[in-house]
Amino acid sequence: MSIKTNSEAWQSGIAKNITFIVTKDCQLACKYCYLVGKNIKERMSWNVAKQAIDYILDHEEDFREESVIWDFIGGEPFLEIDLIDKICDYIKVELFRRNHHWFNSYRFSFSTNGINYHEDKVQRFIAKNRDHLSIGITIDGTERKHDLNRIYKTPEMEAGIAPAPEDEKGSYKDVVRNIPLWLSQFPNAGTKVTISSADIPYIKESVLHLFDLGIHEVNINCVFEDVWTEGDDVKFEEQLMQLADAIIDGKLYENNACSFFTENMGKPLDCVLENQNWCGAGKMLSVDAAGNFYPCTRFAQYSLRDKKAWIIGNVRDGIDKNKLRPFLTLDRCTQSTQECIDCEVGSGCAWCQGENYDAAETPTIYQRSTAICKMHKARVRANNYYWNKLYRKLELEGEREAFESNKKKSNDVIC
Amino acid sequence: MLKYLVVLLDDTSVSYCHYENQKTERKLIALEDLQAGILFAMKQNLMIQFVYPDYELPQEYKDAIHSIDHANIVPASLTKDADVVVVDGLTDENPEEYQGASAVVFRVQKDELFANYKCLIPFLEKLERLNVVITDVETFSDDDLQTYQALLSDLSEVVESEYTKCHAVQFNLLTDRMMLSAMNNCNAGDENITLVSDGKFYVCPAFYQAETATTIENKAQSIGDLKSGLNVRNPQLYKLSHAPICRNCDANQCKRCVWLNRKMTLEVNTPSHEQCIVAHTERNVSRNLLQNIRKHGVFMPEIEIKEIAYLDPFENKEEWQ
Repeated sequence: MSIKTNSEAWQSGIAKNITFIVTKDCQLACKYCYLVGKNIKERMSWNVAKQAIDYILDHEEDFREESVIWDFIGGEPFLEIDLIDKICDYIKVELFRRNHHWFNSYRFSFSTNGINYHEDKVQRFIAKNRDHLSIGITIDGTERKHDLNRIYKTPEMEAGIAPAPEDEKGSYKDVVRNIPLWLSQFPNAGTKVTISSADIPYIKESVLHLFDLGIHEVNINCVFEDVWTEGDDVKFEEQLMQLADAIIDGKLYENNACSFFTENMGKPLDCVLENQNWCGAGKMLSVDAAGNFYPCTRFAQYSLRDKKAWIIGNVRDGIDKNKLRPFLTLDRCTQSTQECIDCEVGSGCAWCQGENYDAAETPTIYQRSTAICKMHKARVRANNYYWNKLYRKLELEGEREAFESNKKKSNDVIC
Repeated sequence: MLKYLVVLLDDTSVSYCHYENQKTERKLIALEDLQAGILFAMKQNLMIQFVYPDYELPQEYKDAIHSIDHANIVPASLTKDADVVVVDGLTDENPEEYQGASAVVFRVQKDELFANYKCLIPFLEKLERLNVVITDVETFSDDDLQTYQALLSDLSEVVESEYTKCHAVQFNLLTDRMMLSAMNNCNAGDENITLVSDGKFYVCPAFYQAETATTIENKAQSIGDLKSGLNVRNPQLYKLSHAPICRNCDANQCKRCVWLNRKMTLEVNTPSHEQCIVAHTERNVSRNLLQNIRKHGVFMPEIEIKEIAYLDPFENKEEWQ
């Protein structure tokens, strides 16, 4: 008997994550997308990319992490596959030429909408870098759930005009056709699903659909933004319980994992022993087309609704370490409300530092947004139900002991 | 808990701290706002510090000010009735000119201090309290520290000599840490706030006089006004308990300037590397001074300043995180 759990990310905790925002353009205009400032103009130039790489590799003493994940995001990163290919070639050559400690301990990582995954240029890039690649394609579930949010951008949207519902064109068909190719190349790949208020009724069917497609790891989380309406928590809990029943009754837990169900979450936390920050902002580094550095992509201007970008330097002048100090000394309790500190089910309750900053009353990263509170508590209740039901089933089937001895630590989704 | 109200009597009121006053046009606080501010302070039980411009105030203003217990912070050009005199730059004037004041503040740039610090010696010998405020702390490099440490050590010999003559001069850079067993910082936004000429409250004078926009905000943000009252948003961030680096630090004399914090790190609760290393250099020379004074007899036996191996508590964060 086995139970699949979500995988740890490659070199989790010991890899530096460096993100190139290669474009702020995307074929889609997903309704829940936090990138409020997407545009077709801000495309990274080779010159900026090269300066960023040179700065990072020139300052090896400031980047002591054992490994590196070179992350490419957009918009849609594969729109800039030519630039990405050039960047990756340059990185490989420079790591070798400099005898850098990241040589042979690197990954290129992509989150893509999957629309042009099959194209020759993308496929050539994948073939060339296969052993150092991780690619996630975002598919939200069933066609109706996916197309509820992940719709094509229209020219009118550039002018701020939303299409009529009947004119919206979903992207499901163009994504799902590429899933078999993707899974043949990355059989253990997972997908990332984002839940907003309107998606709640489709959670169960969507996760099961993704399992059916052969995606065995579904990393799923509620958006951190304050989008939730009265009663969403109740509906969410019901959906998760139905999903729990389906997974357990269908024995789907043996081959599939859904990150909503995570053991050992929903417990009180100690302010001394369990005081670490949830989010990795500040330990990561992002660079955009203008050559500005950010503690995480979520602090770039196109990600922010109400605040100014949090720029920590640029490719010419380097990183201003003073502007990283707040991130590197940030702990859970200092940024939390007393209600969060005292919460009986606090463990596993996530936050996004960028959203905290964007939602804060003052320009600070030290005010934790609590928009997700009710949803977390609903998740905890459903999660408890899942594990109690699963444990009892395993006991009755005489498999509990085998499960306990084989179980892995699960990987909760952060952002 | 709020204890002090700073009142800028005019937009051109003298800066007595790290920032440069960017406002050059006179704008006197309205008399009714001054009176309302005084009433606010009386009701909130706050000690008022009036900060003066370099011109004589109208008589009705003087009468209003006279109606409440207060302290006067004045520029060097107007020393009459001064409790605190602010001098821009170092001077070789006769210290006796300032002997009526309870404290003299020298605002000085790093390079001028390095070159002319000996100008301070006559003041240390004659005055009861001397504050030196470095106006470009943010430019301190690690290389500057040796020079700073050497000049502080020089001045500490003068202070030690004064103590042996029973003249216990107070000098913020050297004796404050000797006297403190806990943090005693500026505490702007927590223990003190500032009322300015437009009737609004600000965290401190710098938040009004030194800026209109910052890298992180589009305009200077007030924290309330006389009509609607105080509205400090995220007030916990001005408290030591919510400053991870500072609550793990014992440079007790450090100003912990929230304006410099925000300017350099973008957060009011996080000090820059430069502010930390300067404060720790002062702390360490104070430690030596304390030991040297004790060679002459028992002195402040309850105070202990430990030897530490870092100048920036951030670099020691593995110990407290």
